[in-house]
Amino acid sequence: MKLYRQPLKTQNQPMLKYTISILFLLCFFNGWAQDDTINLNPQDSIVHKQTYGLRVGVDLSRLIISQSSEGYTGLEIVGDYRLKQKLYIAVELGNEKKTKQEDLYNFTTSGSYAKLGIDYNTYENWYGMNNSIFIGGRYAISSFNQTLNNFQYFDSNRYWNPDTFPNGSTEAVEFDGLAASWLEFVFGLKAELFTNLYLGGSVRIGFLVNNKEAEEFPNLFVPGFNKVTDDSKFGIGYNYSLTYMIPLYKKANKKKEEEIENEQ
Amino acid sequence: MNKLKIAFIILLGIIFFSACEKDDICVAGDTPLLVIRFYDETDTTNTKNVTNLRVVGLDQTTTVNTFSDRSSADSLAVPLRPSTTSTTYLLIANSADEDEVEIGNTDILTINHETKEVFVSRACGFIANYENLTPSLDTDTDNWIKNIEVISSTVENSESAHVKIYH
Repeated sequence: MKLYRQPLKTQNQPMLKYTISILFLLCFFNGWAQDDTINLNPQDSIVHKQTYGLRVGVDLSRLIISQSSEGYTGLEIVGDYRLKQKLYIAVELGNEKKTKQEDLYNFTTSGSYAKLGIDYNTYENWYGMNNSIFIGGRYAISSFNQTLNNFQYFDSNRYWNPDTFPNGSTEAVEFDGLAASWLEFVFGLKAELFTNLYLGGSVRIGFLVNNKEAEEFPNLFVPGFNKVTDDSKFGIGYNYSLTYMIPLYKKANKKKEEEIENEQ
Repeated sequence: MNKLKIAFIILLGIIFFSACEKDDICVAGDTPLLVIRFYDETDTTNTKNVTNLRVVGLDQTTTVNTFSDRSSADSLAVPLRPSTTSTTYLLIANSADEDEVEIGNTDILTINHETKEVFVSRACGFIANYENLTPSLDTDTDNWIKNIEVISSTVENSESAHVKIYH
């Protein structure tokens, strides 16, 4: 049936020529040519089966910053699952605690976050390579609390306090039950260092959809989202991931399957 | 790969623009001053200038920096102290020196207040607003201040008068 389809006909013309040439050859080497005709499907060996599986790992940057800087501890577990040749489901789960000293106040934000979304690989790998340059999107939620550790009043009139700003409370005030959700655009890379071991990095632009904050003290930092800027819904984040791919099954590229079909 | 280039350029653009942060300098707000207006004690709807007024905070060595010293005016704005529950000023009418001794009429005004912190912006942090203003005047034999009236018991801005002083 397929042979009668218009596009296939034209595609098969060189093949027909080839077949005819082989037939000529067979006339001369009749004796052993029989074996060759059975093995007329050399494409099979070319088909490269790609590994599909679950990739899990950690964000290195959060681990390193936790060690190197005071006032920050954070951990992010990253994972993705290959759905199709170029499409991955991606997840990030994390926990962050950050203390920030601003000019006149000091606060600590502590909480957890989850991000779920997809990555789309735009990189055309060479034979046998498994690298990716991907773009992706996430929907993320975070639940956290913020503690105002201490503050001083901002007062530009220095009559009563010529050398310093007047002290406010030094008693920590905790604001509980804060939450935020945001959409994230992701751009990143993943390179296979050794078999199944990947090093990756990504930059993320977040857009706050929902931000539940205390009336007295706004959310200045959201775990997973990063710094919240005054009067802006955008935020910037990044990660450097080290991941291990647990191979589950192998599948040939779809594109090549079509080609084989055409050849047959 | 062309699509990727475009995506990359867009990404760079957003990073550059989002890096332009305006919140490093505090411009969004300030702790308000207490505004006092002087009225005529007989004709209570009319403002009346205090001549050669000098304003000094209690235990301060300099006059208040928001008022030009020994000038005549019908209004005065003074800073309160956010860290305490009261602020005391010496209001000296007809202020003048004679042999380096103050000969003006000194009245001591204490403003009791509660302080409420208000978050303004990331750069500014907190400013103070004041609530429950209750002024009290030390009585002496010759008070030039006859009466004090609170118009607004909360101080959230310095745009209108909070306290009226009749003299």
